[in-house]
Amino acid sequence: MRLSLALMVLLACLSPAWAQTITPTEMLRSSVTNFIRPQVKAFAREARALEPAMATLCASPGADTLGAAQAAFAATSVAYGRIEFLRIGPLAENNRAERLLFWPDRRGIGLRQVQQLLGDEDAGAITLAGLQGKSVAVQGLGALEFVLFGTGSEALLDTTDGFRCRYGQTIAQNLAQIADEIVLAWADPAGVAEHLMRPDPAYPDYRSTTESLEAVVGLVAHGIEAVRDTRLNPFIARNGDTANPRQAMFWRSHQTVAMLEANLKAMQTLLALGGMATDPDLADEIDAAFSRAFAALAGVSAPVEVAVADPVQAAALNDLVVATQDLQRLIGEELSATLGLSVGFSSLDGD
Amino acid sequence: MWQRRAFLKSAGAGFVASLLPRQTMALEGSELVFASAVQTASGSYGAVLMGERGNVIAMIDLPDRGHDITLSRQAGRGVVFARQPGTFAVVFDPQGREAPKTLTSIEGRHFFGHGVFSPDGTLLYATESDFEAAKGVVGIYDAGNDYQRIGEFPTYGIGPHEMLLMPDGRTLVIANGGIETHPDYGRAELNLDTMDPSIVFIDRVDGRLIGQLRLEAGLHQLSIRHMAIDQASRVWFGCQYKGAPGDSVQLVGFATQDGAIKLLELPPDTLGDLQNYVGSVAASADGATIAVSSPQGDLLVAIDAAAQRPVLVATLRNGCGLAPYGTGFVASSGEGELIGLAGAQRAQQQFPFLFDNHLLRV
Repeated sequence: MRLSLALMVLLACLSPAWAQTITPTEMLRSSVTNFIRPQVKAFAREARALEPAMATLCASPGADTLGAAQAAFAATSVAYGRIEFLRIGPLAENNRAERLLFWPDRRGIGLRQVQQLLGDEDAGAITLAGLQGKSVAVQGLGALEFVLFGTGSEALLDTTDGFRCRYGQTIAQNLAQIADEIVLAWADPAGVAEHLMRPDPAYPDYRSTTESLEAVVGLVAHGIEAVRDTRLNPFIARNGDTANPRQAMFWRSHQTVAMLEANLKAMQTLLALGGMATDPDLADEIDAAFSRAFAALAGVSAPVEVAVADPVQAAALNDLVVATQDLQRLIGEELSATLGLSVGFSSLDGD
Repeated sequence: MWQRRAFLKSAGAGFVASLLPRQTMALEGSELVFASAVQTASGSYGAVLMGERGNVIAMIDLPDRGHDITLSRQAGRGVVFARQPGTFAVVFDPQGREAPKTLTSIEGRHFFGHGVFSPDGTLLYATESDFEAAKGVVGIYDAGNDYQRIGEFPTYGIGPHEMLLMPDGRTLVIANGGIETHPDYGRAELNLDTMDPSIVFIDRVDGRLIGQLRLEAGLHQLSIRHMAIDQASRVWFGCQYKGAPGDSVQLVGFATQDGAIKLLELPPDTLGDLQNYVGSVAASADGATIAVSSPQGDLLVAIDAAAQRPVLVATLRNGCGLAPYGTGFVASSGEGELIGLAGAQRAQQQFPFLFDNHLLRV
């Protein structure tokens, strides 16, 4: 009897009636204070640690310092992978998202520009102000990956204060500065966070709780879509075409899978911390779809060119595509509907 | 599926049963007044043909989501184009005498959702993407020969969207939205940092570029998408801003064939309510009034074209489609509503399907 009573209490706690007590205002507050602000700070911490790692590499080139710089690059990338879907506020301004990571780059513009700049030893690329005046494609993580892992990176093992390293160090400074700007913008008591948490008809960006919540849920729905369309589909084999592993982001550094995992994990965490899946059945469905995505990713090992050539791993990548399709529907459509958000046909993603 | 939930929520389950059979019925040509791409209650896509009172005359099945529709009395045909980056266009007989015919874009091209017929109805022009080269083109189709694609010419920009025929019957005006997409990347926008939107006037006979107009350089992220022509042959356009969401940028303006381009100064409140997004632009029957819509901001704005100032704002949740009606307009919404606007005496109507972004007045 006692056990079943406990069970009933537990079930009552899990019921929608309980879940509904999370108000939209609380969802927004929790999204900002429990996810967005801590995660952008975590990214800034990694970016600030990357800069001294690059400085050490330039001053004392060698296998150890290169390994440390590469590890700092990986940590910074993954930390960015956790926030890059936050395309509102500072990441949607001043081309920050593109400057941090220029992707997709279907025609390899970024790579060509980076190679040219390295070939020319362009002095404008090794001062922060100079770099910030250049193409967005040579300013961020994609460029730094080529510096640290691409053709010619062996120069970092034995050239003290070489151009390539100093360029990488300047990129790291740029990343740290942009990261700091993002942290400050989200911390601003009169900024985007305030507008998002306490919307007001007088604000140009968020005029009502519904608009704010639409924005946050939309970040996840569009984030899932972007993962599939810009990170997965371009390199996996589909519709009978052959795989194209060189179109995988960060294939050189073997960070492709880690980035995908960071992207998806972060979106799952935001939904959980925001308490937005108020319908327990739907919450279970969303969790199950995320679990399928992570199970698929766990079956994919680096490097990507080996993974796509292995039928088992290629199948796992296709499973991941299916999971993202499910997630997009569950979050962009079902979850939006349960929250009473406008999932209007015309306004869903514009045209 | 959300489609179903949203639909049941917005339309009420009672409407489901009233949906007409899909098979086209014999049509009275004179009765056909409105056409729009829609999403049906079951989540499938189609195009609806409606009469004066909003009565559904026929529903045409589409393989995927449609966008705009163009119609030629001379050709006796209408065409509904796939929403970008779709690869189909469905040619239909508004009289219902022939089954619809599906065109497929050629390899290396996709449609952008808009097109026009030549005045004599012999040629169909469609805005298309040469996506490997990241260039816009106009595909030319021979209506007299089973809509064979007989050629193309460039739009001198990326991401051409709406295209209209100028009153001279010879000049095409095209809004190059400036945004690069590629089917391998879904609807992802690939060049937001280097966008270069423009309006071009092109001679449809030889594809010659007559003129190309750009907004000032600081507005390179202002994607020019939709247009309508007023009584003075000015081309009114509506934009979608791709820069920082907090920015407040003017979104509506007009261009002329002799090279003027100007953004209207909408008041801050109206501009804010447009949410950096104009979804469609229409001219009233007399060309004296222009209407623009924002489904993001649930706002409709009517503008006195001669005075160049807004004369009326109305709200319509998810409102986007606009068509001339009476002295004003009819607006359609992504929640399945039709309402009258700016002098159009019409009761609000609710339909058992969701209207896509554009409403055609036949």
